[in-house]
Amino acid sequence: MFESVSALAPQSGFGALYSRARARSAISSEAQSVQKAADSMVDSMERSQALFGEKASAISQIWMLANECAEAGWDGDDALPLNRLAVFKAIAFIRVLPEGVPLPEFAPEPDGSISLDWIQSRNRLFSLSVGTGNRLAYAWLDGTDKGHAVARFDEVTGVPLRVLEGINAIMNNGQASFRSR
Amino acid sequence: MDKLPSGLANVVADEEDLARFLTSSSLFNAVTVKPAAFLPNRKNGETSVFRHDGETRESLWQTAEDHLPGVRLHGAVIFKATHVRAASLDVLAHEPPPRHANIVGWPTSQTDPEMEKAEQRECAALIAQHAELVRR
Repeated sequence: MFESVSALAPQSGFGALYSRARARSAISSEAQSVQKAADSMVDSMERSQALFGEKASAISQIWMLANECAEAGWDGDDALPLNRLAVFKAIAFIRVLPEGVPLPEFAPEPDGSISLDWIQSRNRLFSLSVGTGNRLAYAWLDGTDKGHAVARFDEVTGVPLRVLEGINAIMNNGQASFRSR
Repeated sequence: MDKLPSGLANVVADEEDLARFLTSSSLFNAVTVKPAAFLPNRKNGETSVFRHDGETRESLWQTAEDHLPGVRLHGAVIFKATHVRAASLDVLAHEPPPRHANIVGWPTSQTDPEMEKAEQRECAALIAQHAELVRR
């Protein structure tokens, strides 16, 4: 049975689009074009959803950590509670991480900052501190290679290229797998 | 050699095991203990540890309960003094309490606090790579 292009019109929402994209029933060239466009859109939306889902989970972990370390002395010593501004900055960092960059693990620091760690193994890791300022302290171990540096960060310009390259070197053995902003 | 009230030597030997208690499950994962677990106290710039050489696990947890009352303990990280010194830091005995010591000599900067943190983070990662996690 032939279907017209306008058959899509009364339908709305992702469900309808998904059904259309996955139906594989288009015969006319117009319907095939629409199906191809729908296919592409669904793939893109699915990727975005997966990405958002992972980032949403990461952001939830930051909030859980903030709750866990909300009182001074959470380390049994003189640790400060996680700083609310540091929490917001860590969330902003996660939001602007480019697609393809693995998401980090999080840990509390005694001065109220949040540690973002990309860990490949005991001696291959990239560790970054998000505090209240707009400069990020970070360090890495890469086998026998090691180092530390500081990079400026703001939400508008995105994650500094040096930081992205550092994460990439650890997590992907230097193979390019993402684009910087 | 001088002895401390605990009976331990005044100088922490390179081969001695040290223990640091982990009060957040976020400070470790299945692979390793994270650098943040070793970062120094913001007030005195030192990292508190206990000399664990030859002690049983039970005595380790007892030490934690004695000195971290009311704090939820997730485990401990055990590492050798030599790995601290290899990171250009030092371990100094500091009693009381018995068996207590501090990791000292963390890099400092009067002009650039972020660079100070970056350098400290590298030292912490160097210790972490040799550390053994003990879950409670």
